[in-house]
Amino acid sequence: MATTQLDRSRLWEVSSRVIVYAAIGAALYGVLGWLINVPIPGSNNVSVRPAFALVPFFGWAFGPIVGLFTGLVGNALLDQLSGYGGLTAWNWSIANGLVGLLAGVFAATPMANALGNRIVGAAVIGVLSTIIGLLFVFTDIIVFGNSLQAALTGSYGFVVVPDVIAAVILVPILAAAWEPLKASLGR
Amino acid sequence: MIITPRYLGRGSWLARRDPRVPILIGVMAALGVIQVWDVRIVVVLFVLAITYYRTAGIPWRAVRRQWAFALAFVSFLVVLNTILTTGEIAALDPSTFHALFTIPVIGTKVSAESLSYGATQMMRFATFIAIGFPMAYAIAPADLGAALARLGIPGKFAFGVDLTWRFIPSLAGDLQETIDAQRVRGYEWDRGGGPITKLRRSVPLVVPLTMNAIVGAEDTIDAMDLRAFGATKRTWLRHLVFDRADRLLLLFTFAIFVAITILGFSGNAKLFVFPFLLPA
Repeated sequence: MATTQLDRSRLWEVSSRVIVYAAIGAALYGVLGWLINVPIPGSNNVSVRPAFALVPFFGWAFGPIVGLFTGLVGNALLDQLSGYGGLTAWNWSIANGLVGLLAGVFAATPMANALGNRIVGAAVIGVLSTIIGLLFVFTDIIVFGNSLQAALTGSYGFVVVPDVIAAVILVPILAAAWEPLKASLGR
Repeated sequence: MIITPRYLGRGSWLARRDPRVPILIGVMAALGVIQVWDVRIVVVLFVLAITYYRTAGIPWRAVRRQWAFALAFVSFLVVLNTILTTGEIAALDPSTFHALFTIPVIGTKVSAESLSYGATQMMRFATFIAIGFPMAYAIAPADLGAALARLGIPGKFAFGVDLTWRFIPSLAGDLQETIDAQRVRGYEWDRGGGPITKLRRSVPLVVPLTMNAIVGAEDTIDAMDLRAFGATKRTWLRHLVFDRADRLLLLFTFAIFVAITILGFSGNAKLFVFPFLLPA
């Protein structure tokens, strides 16, 4: 199996590899997010989006820059494809970007090997980065004039629960698929 | 499966503008509208936003679902906001409110102030949407990277955005191939079940698509490295130049933004309560 954690010295490097993986991540997030979502019965158009798991996964696998780009541009792309305009909910795109960024940063810490297992570490990182990164949606208080309670239940609560579910299920699966592939690619 | 951005505003007055114009207007609108709570000013901004929206020539039939969804979602948020805050409004003293009635069971006091606040919030959302739609539909997708680069966004990031758009059709094709291949093996996405079951059922689509895309990216990386990507400053095929109309439109928007900011900082954009809701 490949190395234990991301090389810290190259964490913030922007190479052609970083740009391409970032673009792939954002495009995948946009395409899958647009086509595959699972509505939660009884909620107001709240969906579990399997594609969201790609944000912490790309951050975990390829570093914070890739994670940031995947979340930020992927979410804006999703809004753009849906027709609302990439900047209409710009703070939500930043929140998604922060999830990827944090996943990339956490992947370079001992957290990546939580309980001595990379896959468990990926799940832990996916959940933590989602919970912390999405706190940025509280800026709805400034941007849209929502109250704290509405931001907590109507924005954060609505998005963090389905996104944590998506992350906790899919990030370890993606990580388990990526680890042997990474070794075979020589990464 | 064809997934491409819908360039619905093609040929319209706004689409003929420099692509940086709708982006800059979107940024100024996002920063400007959030400063205003006086519904009279927000209505003026909404009228301007709708006028701007009309210049994008977006056919109503093509976007009515988006408008309906956006307005329904916004209405839900506004109602939720009012109920959850039990009629309270930040920075205002609830003891000065003019209560109109109380919602049974939950006990939320609805006042002239909370109704005015909700109406203003609704108008602000609608203004955001009217500015956001042209950005989605009246910018040629191929121009987005060049526009971001010319706006001072780092060249590699702008190229990444450009690359993202280019990956969409091929990834959508790959997704369709993956769906077809899994169906041959008896896979059915819409077989019922709860959200968790459906989420787990997305694994046979998400994992192969993602891994194939990552492996396939190696060719693109090699091609970029062979062309010394990042060694020098990148130039763009599309040459962007502001014309007279672009400058006037940006100047007009900037003037509105400055006026709003002055009104906001001078305390003249605070919540306006509809007089007809106040007791005589």
